[in-house]
Amino acid sequence: MAIVVSDRRARLQESPLRHLDPFLFGAPALLAALGTLMVYASTRHKLEAQHLDPLYFVKRQIIAITVGIVVMVVLMFIDYRRLRELSLLGYGATILMLLAVLKVGASVKGAQARFDIGAFQLQPGEFAKIFLTLVLAAYCTRHREEMGARRLVVAILICAVPLGLIILQPDLGTDVVLMAMVFTMIMMAGARARHLVVLLLLGLTVTVGAVQAGVLDQYQIDRITSFQNLNADKQGTAYNQKQSILTVGSGGLTGKGLFAGSQTNGAQVPEQHTDFIFTVVGEEFGFVGSALVLALFAMIVWRTSRAARLAQDPFGSLCCIGVLAMFVAQVFENVGMATGIMPVTGIPLPFMSYGGSSVIVSFACIGLVGNVRMRRFS
Amino acid sequence: MSDTRVRSSLVGVVVLALFSALFARLWYIQVASHEQFSTAATNNSVREIVEPPVRGRILDAQGRVLVDNRVGNRITVDRKLSVTERQKVLQRLAPVLKLPVKTLDARAGDRRISPYTAVPVAYDVDFATLAYVSEHRREFPGVRAEAIPVREYPNKNLGAHVLGYLGEINPTELKAQVDPTQYQLGDKIGKSGVELTYESDLRGKPGLRQVEVDATGRVLRPLKTRSSVPGDDVRLTLNIDVQRATETALAQGITAARESQDFANRDTFTKLKATAGAAIVLDAATGSVVALASQPDFDPNEFVDGIPQARWVQLGAKENNLPLVNRAVAGQYFPGSTFKLVTAVAALNSQIINANTLFDDTGEYRYPTDPKNPFRGENANGRVNLSRALTVSSDPYFYKIGGDLFYRQKHGQPGGDAIQSAARDFGFGQPTGIALPTEGSGLIADAAWTKRMHETDPKNFPFADWLPGDNIQSAIGQKDILVTPIQLATAYEALANGGTRFSPRLADEVRDVNRKLVRSLDPITAGTLSIPERSTLMSGFTGVIEDPKGTAVQAFAGFPTGLAAGKTGTAQVAGKQNTSWFVGMTPAVNPKYIVLAVVEEGGYGAQTAAPIVRAIMDHLNGLPQAPVVNIAQRTRG
Repeated sequence: MAIVVSDRRARLQESPLRHLDPFLFGAPALLAALGTLMVYASTRHKLEAQHLDPLYFVKRQIIAITVGIVVMVVLMFIDYRRLRELSLLGYGATILMLLAVLKVGASVKGAQARFDIGAFQLQPGEFAKIFLTLVLAAYCTRHREEMGARRLVVAILICAVPLGLIILQPDLGTDVVLMAMVFTMIMMAGARARHLVVLLLLGLTVTVGAVQAGVLDQYQIDRITSFQNLNADKQGTAYNQKQSILTVGSGGLTGKGLFAGSQTNGAQVPEQHTDFIFTVVGEEFGFVGSALVLALFAMIVWRTSRAARLAQDPFGSLCCIGVLAMFVAQVFENVGMATGIMPVTGIPLPFMSYGGSSVIVSFACIGLVGNVRMRRFS
Repeated sequence: MSDTRVRSSLVGVVVLALFSALFARLWYIQVASHEQFSTAATNNSVREIVEPPVRGRILDAQGRVLVDNRVGNRITVDRKLSVTERQKVLQRLAPVLKLPVKTLDARAGDRRISPYTAVPVAYDVDFATLAYVSEHRREFPGVRAEAIPVREYPNKNLGAHVLGYLGEINPTELKAQVDPTQYQLGDKIGKSGVELTYESDLRGKPGLRQVEVDATGRVLRPLKTRSSVPGDDVRLTLNIDVQRATETALAQGITAARESQDFANRDTFTKLKATAGAAIVLDAATGSVVALASQPDFDPNEFVDGIPQARWVQLGAKENNLPLVNRAVAGQYFPGSTFKLVTAVAALNSQIINANTLFDDTGEYRYPTDPKNPFRGENANGRVNLSRALTVSSDPYFYKIGGDLFYRQKHGQPGGDAIQSAARDFGFGQPTGIALPTEGSGLIADAAWTKRMHETDPKNFPFADWLPGDNIQSAIGQKDILVTPIQLATAYEALANGGTRFSPRLADEVRDVNRKLVRSLDPITAGTLSIPERSTLMSGFTGVIEDPKGTAVQAFAGFPTGLAAGKTGTAQVAGKQNTSWFVGMTPAVNPKYIVLAVVEEGGYGAQTAAPIVRAIMDHLNGLPQAPVVNIAQRTRG
């Protein structure tokens, strides 16, 4: 019997589950829980006013989180090296979805970015994040030699297709996040310094070009230009950001207390439960709460960077770097927009913003990083 | 350092920089400039709702309630209803409240009502309606009954002119407020009477409720509440019983007069019109108003919920004899013979006569420069002294005083304006200062006034000079002598108490809701004057009632002796029937009360006013009360 026990222990010691990183999973769990509470705080009054279930958004968010956690767990059980082969499939599927969404997608606030499937919506742009990470990491690490100009061009082309489709929706925010992610991955994959400079200029040119060529709708341009002048329009984007800064600022050091935020209760910030969820934290929990949220994200970034360093192979490492870059870009853009140091581009705050696709993809990314980390010895 | 290490460090540095930027920004807006954002957020979401205070009560001298607040119910409609929902509810509500939908709709959309409270659409609904609405709650979503204080005048018309009434504050009144936070449009404010003059005591302080609202103005939760402070109770010097007796006597006297003959018209039988009147009871020692009545009157309760326009027009119509006008203070009349008190004092002061000077009343008086146009009296009273002249109301006696004083005036001798200056000493020609609005000043015409009027309006005032006739007519309270009833009452009060002229006091105490004394109001002395030969004057006025030849002897038939003194007055008014006056004092020695009655187009003083005063005096002295009758007396007095 003793032999059996020791045998089981030996097997357990070999199991990748022994190398799970509790911090990597704890931080997103806390963020998701806090996020759900904040979604409740920012939507209950509006729903009650319309005689609807005040928990409507909360319930849906909990479903999304549950699905996200399931996806995360499933992703971890598949060895990430097998994901390498699957990545191309996912990439292809994403391209098709992005194409389809332009044709038949539902239009929300001027952007054609999602499918309505029953009561739920699917945003292919969100899924592009993880599949692009996988396929780019796979391509960059397929050959042992360093990133030459030709391979760099191919890599750029791989990225250009989904990026182009997303900018056609148009969804500038997601594109900016993807570009930051792609640039970091290519840099860490060993592209030459001068190539990177060219790439940086190219990215800027494309962005400016998109604005100039009229691919972007006026509202998106307004968002960026109104960033300079917050008092320009009363009900538009500048108003949104002005209210957002005011809401965060009014929270003070320790906040007004849960459910006691007058700005939140008064629905003064449009889109608060989605893109501006951070303002609820800022108002009701103040600087302390805001700093805690940033610290939790920093924790995820730190554990992800450790996973990248400890990864058994360059593919795993580069996957982690992609996820890291994506989270950093997204958090910086989202919190920066809520506090007024970044222009308003509608992107969600990972784990916290209301929205199924974003939550599921965020957890999937954690699954990917966890996968790489726990298989660092095998 | 390997290339990869450099690149990782670079990424690390960038990540650190980005997170630091976010932390710095958060610190800046949440901690460093928190104050500014906090204020802006508060302005964004906090709204203030003013809660009107409960108005103070008005009590009589014995603390009995004259004006109170009762709990009323009003029906409100929730602001949260959508336009179509509201429309449906109002349509169902209209037949229940017996109000047109249009009215309800207008009230529900009233912009003066705070947008953060439910809107009242019906005030003071009866219990049956209230019960119906609460039993059929499902049919009336968003409809609620609220208890509110409703101003109540339990004695209806009693004391209406003293108490006054409330109305909604108008923009002018709002602007005139020293502290604009105390009122807002839609608030009730005293419009007349004590409700107006003691407004600041009765009003109280409005409370303030702060609520948090959302971006669309919906109320989310209450923040803080400052309760309203109820208004203070004002205790009047009025006595409900005396007031009721006074009003009853006045009303009965007027009714009786309307059935009686106008004896001044000797050609045909005409009834007296007795269109209106006033009666006053003053406390001789303190100047307190014990009763003050004016006819026709009104019910202040009519104003509580806002008076309907048609009714308002009715109350302001001349053919209805202006029921809202308080004739006791605003009515200005020729005093007639009641003015002889002033002339007598003037004559004694200027030593034209003494108490024993005899004058042969032949029924007329001729002024030396114009003997062809005699001034006629009612009867020939024979030889009269001052006391007798008052008792029988000898006009020629007083004509002569007027004439003699005019002679002095004309020849630059001192004391020629004795009548006018005595009149001013008695308080005529200026408001008494009683705490009631619309008080008249009256008029004491003199040479300067005549000249001024001629210069400004030569058509209506053809003579620039003060003529003998002016002074002679003034001596018997005709010509351009106008007095208000309250002025005349205070003048006789000064006689009664030996020379103190009071500004009549209407209230003596203000107490807060906890019965704590806020302030007490002492009697206000407006002036003092010395009254020569007071006992002679008093005996003359007692004779009016007790002497067989006294002008009011019939009206006071059966009245205990020594209990009353007084003076009749019958003023001639061009184009109208005579104004009937009586000013009485009771008892005759050291009088306690002054009782005055005046009836417009009421005939002779002894005929209509004297019986009214007598009835009031009956009450004051605890004597049996009989209905007031008109006396068929044919002497002017």
